Amino acid sequence: MKRALTIAMLVLLAMPLLYAMSQLPPHGSATSPAYTHISPRYLERGPEEAGAENVVTDVILNYRGFDTNGEVTVIFTSLAAVLAVLLAGRKGDERPVREPAAEPSPPSVVVRFVVRLLGPFVTMFAVYVIINGHVSPGGGFQGGTVFGALVILITVVLGRSVAEKLQPLGVRRILQAAAPLTFVAVGVLGLALFGDYLAFPRDEALAWVRTSWLMVIEIGIGVGGAAIISAIFWQMGGDR
Amino acid sequence: MSELFDLVLIALLIACALAVIRTKDLLGAAIIFSTYSLVLCLMWQHRGAPDVAMTEAAVGAGVTTVLFLVAIGRTVRREK
Repeated sequence: MKRALTIAMLVLLAMPLLYAMSQLPPHGSATSPAYTHISPRYLERGPEEAGAENVVTDVILNYRGFDTNGEVTVIFTSLAAVLAVLLAGRKGDERPVREPAAEPSPPSVVVRFVVRLLGPFVTMFAVYVIINGHVSPGGGFQGGTVFGALVILITVVLGRSVAEKLQPLGVRRILQAAAPLTFVAVGVLGLALFGDYLAFPRDEALAWVRTSWLMVIEIGIGVGGAAIISAIFWQMGGDR
Repeated sequence: MSELFDLVLIALLIACALAVIRTKDLLGAAIIFSTYSLVLCLMWQHRGAPDVAMTEAAVGAGVTTVLFLVAIGRTVRREK
């Protein structure tokens, strides 16, 4: 009975959704509203107006900069939430968090050597993805995640003490908040100099300012993303 | 040819999604889920969204899977 009811509900829900889908313009059609109003403007004037060769970067960090500002704040808040939940679970409960019965055997020499060998190249790739996000696909989010994954790899193979050297304790909190902090800093700079939050200079002669501000935001997002990913991993106890 | 590629990817996606739901072994489910992300990443790339494809590969197939594995390591491996 309950099952039949569920199926009936799902069918009832699916019908209006499928009907609405049939009314959408066909995929890729050049006359659909999404392609006739703002997209041409972004594509034609984006690179000169917004400061980056890659139009996706233009839209994310300049035209829709305020949205992205909110997004990086959400990501930072998620870290705060994870830390709050995991720390709260530990406080009243004084027992040590399930110690491993025996010290796990360290990874083999081959694995350690390969990770040491790959480290610089992965770092290079992450920096390339962040810096070159202006021209090619990529940017702060992607490069930061690549570097965060490298930190996780180092934690697992070489131990947490080695990985933590990448983020000194004194500045770790600032590194974790790097993305929202740089975004707000650039936003306030725009407010002070050009009269609007996240305003970028429109002057042709100031094109280098646009590009360098975008670059600063990308680096901030990259550093912050990498720090947050590794912090969540450490906090979950992934090294044990 | 391009449409055939799309169809194969979509079929793989659906197969992975169903397999994730049906697998009782959580470790296996996490691995299948990372395959799902990988197929989805190929699909983004094929549909002309390389930025999203990079994010999907790094976050979906990489970091999320690692976090799942850590969570499984700290709890139990089998679904009740």
